[in-house]
Amino acid sequence: MTLVAGLRAASYGIPFQPVAGVHGSELARINGWQILRDPYGSGSEVYVIPAVHPDIAVIHAAEIDEQGNARVYGSPFWDHPLTRAAKRVLVTAEKLVPTDRLREQPELTLVPGFMVEAAAVVPQGAWPGSMHPYYEIDYPAVERYMEDRDGVLEQHLAAAPETAPR
Amino acid sequence: MDWTPFSFIVTHLARQIRPGEITFSGVNSTLPMLACLLAKRAFDFDFTYINVAGGVEPQPVNVPLSSSDPAIVHGSPAIFANQDFYDLCARGGLDLVYLGCAQIDAEGRTNVSAIGSWENPTVRLPGGGGAAVMLPTAKRVVTWRTDHTPRALVDKLDFITASGNMTALVTPMAVFLREAQAGSRFRLEVFNPQTTVEDIVARTGFHFSHEGAAPAMPMTAGEQQALEMLDAGGRFSAAVNG
Repeated sequence: MTLVAGLRAASYGIPFQPVAGVHGSELARINGWQILRDPYGSGSEVYVIPAVHPDIAVIHAAEIDEQGNARVYGSPFWDHPLTRAAKRVLVTAEKLVPTDRLREQPELTLVPGFMVEAAAVVPQGAWPGSMHPYYEIDYPAVERYMEDRDGVLEQHLAAAPETAPR
Repeated sequence: MDWTPFSFIVTHLARQIRPGEITFSGVNSTLPMLACLLAKRAFDFDFTYINVAGGVEPQPVNVPLSSSDPAIVHGSPAIFANQDFYDLCARGGLDLVYLGCAQIDAEGRTNVSAIGSWENPTVRLPGGGGAAVMLPTAKRVVTWRTDHTPRALVDKLDFITASGNMTALVTPMAVFLREAQAGSRFRLEVFNPQTTVEDIVARTGFHFSHEGAAPAMPMTAGEQQALEMLDAGGRFSAAVNG
């Protein structure tokens, strides 16, 4: 939430963003967050979070066209503030689709192509996470990855869709 | 029927919901997710259930193991994604929010940041995920622990991640309540009849009043049916009951 405030500041082009709450949290002390009093006289005191400027945002989309227009189905989670705050945006996507398909429902395009620096079509690219509506979380794969033994990372990487032989 | 740690926690998390409320469950919150789904099935009043996956009044066919799985959006007539529900909370529009804790004190402050000192922790925890904003801005916050130990229920937190409107703490042994106002302390409200108040005192790191504490009301038939349906195959209860 405070991270998102920082991303919002970056996407709005301002140095900091006021945020609700935080009072009574030691996070303010360790992060050096400052308090401002409402300059319009309500008397309320609000924490202000400094802008967070990610160098690169990488998101996984459902569909993308040749111009980089990227469509996401279901919840966008944090894709919107993240792509607006970052200096560069990279997209991976499940499928390449014709631009005419995106024209039919442009409101489903989460990132317009002019913002996207590079993209790759990576089917199953969210594995072992889910990609709505194509596939769900691969819970057994997540459980194997969390086992505490040698070789877990190597086995996980070898099983990933982008490296596994098809 | 005897309580299990799983049935005690989920049922008592659900019993915190009041008619007409807007409730929210977040990440790593499988038990509150089940509590909200149980309340939808077992209680004869309306309330609104929003979850971190963006679901509003979802009708999941298969309840997922993870409370942030997009499967928990299935059947929602709207997507109310992260920016929306955090902003709703910030402007005072969430009535009941479930937030987790590694440590909690008698005033309902939580630590999800570090065990030991912040600078030299013995365990670095995942962090608040919005708790510092949600705990003081939600009207009421409820938390839970699947264990009941003086390590988790402490007199003094190692680090204060969030502070604010915590009103209930549910463990396998007890339900503690406090008012959503500064200085109010948890009091024992309900205890699991399979334990004793003395045992709860011995296993709690903070001092609390237990005047007027009562044994838990048994599960209603509706609660029992709903929980059995949600936990078909026992995959959720196994994770808590061992």
